Amino acid sequence: MKSSLHFQDADAFYECLLDAHQGLGREQSELLNARLILILANQLGDTAVLKACIEAARAGQPD
Amino acid sequence: MLETQAAYADTAFSNGYEFTQGTGYTLPEYPFVAPPELVSGEVRRYPLVIVGGGIAGLSLACALAHQGVEALLLDEDNTVGVKGAASRGICYAQKTLEIFKRLGVYERIARKGVQWSVGRTFAGEDEVYSFDLRQQQTHSLSVEPPFINIQQFYIEGFLVEQIQALHRSRPCIDIRWSNRITAFEQNEAFATLSLTTPAGDYTLQADHVIDCTGSRSPFRAWCGASVTAKKGDDRWCIADVRFRDAPPVERHTWIEAPFNDNRAVWQHLMADGVWRIDYQMAPNCDPEQVSREDVVRARLNAQFKRELGEDECEIVWVGPYAYRSECLDGLRHGRVFFVGDSAHVVSPFGARGGNSGVQDADNLAWKLAAVLQGRASPGLLDSYSAERHEAAQQNVLVTNRTARFLRPADGAERLFRTAALGLARKHLFARQLVNTGRMSAPNTYSRSAACDKTGGIATQNVIFSWADGQPGELVDLLRWAGGQLLLLVFGALPASAARRLQALAGHSGLRCVQVLAPGQQPQAAEHVIDRQGHLRATCRVAGASASGWALLRPDSYVAATGQRLDTSLVRAVGAAIGLQEENA
Repeated sequence: MKSSLHFQDADAFYECLLDAHQGLGREQSELLNARLILILANQLGDTAVLKACIEAARAGQPD
Repeated sequence: MLETQAAYADTAFSNGYEFTQGTGYTLPEYPFVAPPELVSGEVRRYPLVIVGGGIAGLSLACALAHQGVEALLLDEDNTVGVKGAASRGICYAQKTLEIFKRLGVYERIARKGVQWSVGRTFAGEDEVYSFDLRQQQTHSLSVEPPFINIQQFYIEGFLVEQIQALHRSRPCIDIRWSNRITAFEQNEAFATLSLTTPAGDYTLQADHVIDCTGSRSPFRAWCGASVTAKKGDDRWCIADVRFRDAPPVERHTWIEAPFNDNRAVWQHLMADGVWRIDYQMAPNCDPEQVSREDVVRARLNAQFKRELGEDECEIVWVGPYAYRSECLDGLRHGRVFFVGDSAHVVSPFGARGGNSGVQDADNLAWKLAAVLQGRASPGLLDSYSAERHEAAQQNVLVTNRTARFLRPADGAERLFRTAALGLARKHLFARQLVNTGRMSAPNTYSRSAACDKTGGIATQNVIFSWADGQPGELVDLLRWAGGQLLLLVFGALPASAARRLQALAGHSGLRCVQVLAPGQQPQAAEHVIDRQGHLRATCRVAGASASGWALLRPDSYVAATGQRLDTSLVRAVGAAIGLQEENA
């Protein structure tokens, strides 16, 4: 899993992501995120990388 | 058993689990013959006793009959078919069909069963996606189709008749109908079985006992076998029905069916124009209520969007059941070998129950034959547990994943399913996430002492040409090897290697065949021509004409492969007949 910067334009991505959620209710937002995760996961494809990403995301949980 | 349509008896709606005893079909009945022990009072010792004449027990007995191994098969009733509350298999996968071909019952199954190629998956009112297997590129080299749908009792009936036919030409399998086991114990020297029959009770002793009694096996407790289990709350109710006006011959799968409170529904065809329609029920449903005739008919009317008269829709069998997954932690306990559902129970997705039972039986049969006939060390029998436990664990893993897709927990699990279904309508990749069951596929054995790390893989029933140009199939070659290991030596042989092969071929327990590419000259007495290269491909031997070898077991698995006829081959043969490495 990459930890170093890989975005071509991190700010633009972040803005684009927030814009996509604009005007959506909580449930619609959650569904959008779920679809996005599945689409992005397919871009990666690599089982070990995906597993590492999921673990990294879980580690980000507040205790 | 008639090849024509089985006669139907009136379906007895008895409002409960007992209904799953099913009287929708008129099944063959086999006569009870009083065992000789009842007259003599003698306690006899048998080398091999199979308990349970379901699809696993009968497959095992049939495989043993082919090899002339004497065995006793005890069955608690006098018929095949729908006894017990478990769902009954309808879908038989390629590997299993190849085994049935070797057992000599495939042609009858293919004639009686049905095949389909179009499958459609729905969610709500929409089709999520469809496929046509005929248009998909197939990577299979096998002569057999990917699967055939047929009622399980037909296969069981065919196996009984095949065993009887083999028994007539060479007495080997004594099937004792209406012999129910009531007690069991084992010690260092033998096992003791207590049996009850319509004519009285008796006791026998056995060297090896094969438990094929199914998911309610009493042997688990008798042997103190530990089980890893997971109980789900997913409940289903099967309706096997026959329509006057048949629906299209397609498999339909609803993940969310509007006519079933947005729960899943399966619909596919088997022999005699009978459709299996399997409805996912609410977790807290009452099994008696959901299998009542008026309730079943109401579901069918909702599905087909009109009132179906009794003359246009005949209900053949109804069976409610709950999913569970169980796997014994070891498939051998002393003299007892657990085979089929008695060893493992999975939910029916991907048809991994019956298929794995037949494959268990096929794995064990040749090992028992080789040990009892003196061709292998008794240690070979331990590899049954190593190999088939690995397979069972794989089946548990795969079916639990499907179960989780079809009954997601509230919250994130349901959210991701909704997301996957939404994407699958538009994007090809997301269809792979829609998990309505992964079809039973042959398992790989990576932990077996009987397989080298180059082996442990299943071959397919591929075609080749005999030396005289006649077409042949790998199944024929395995039959010719007759329960012995089969060494396939690929490519041209230098003189020294040819001499070594000749010496090897003289050994009992090993048959050797040279496999030539078109145009190559034979150096061995027995040779075949691999015109399409399919033998080489299915044995995973590299190159097109380069030399190499594959050691095949009677269950059509590759035990090992190699390049040169050297000590690696000698070691592989030793391992495949259960000899331990001296320095291990």
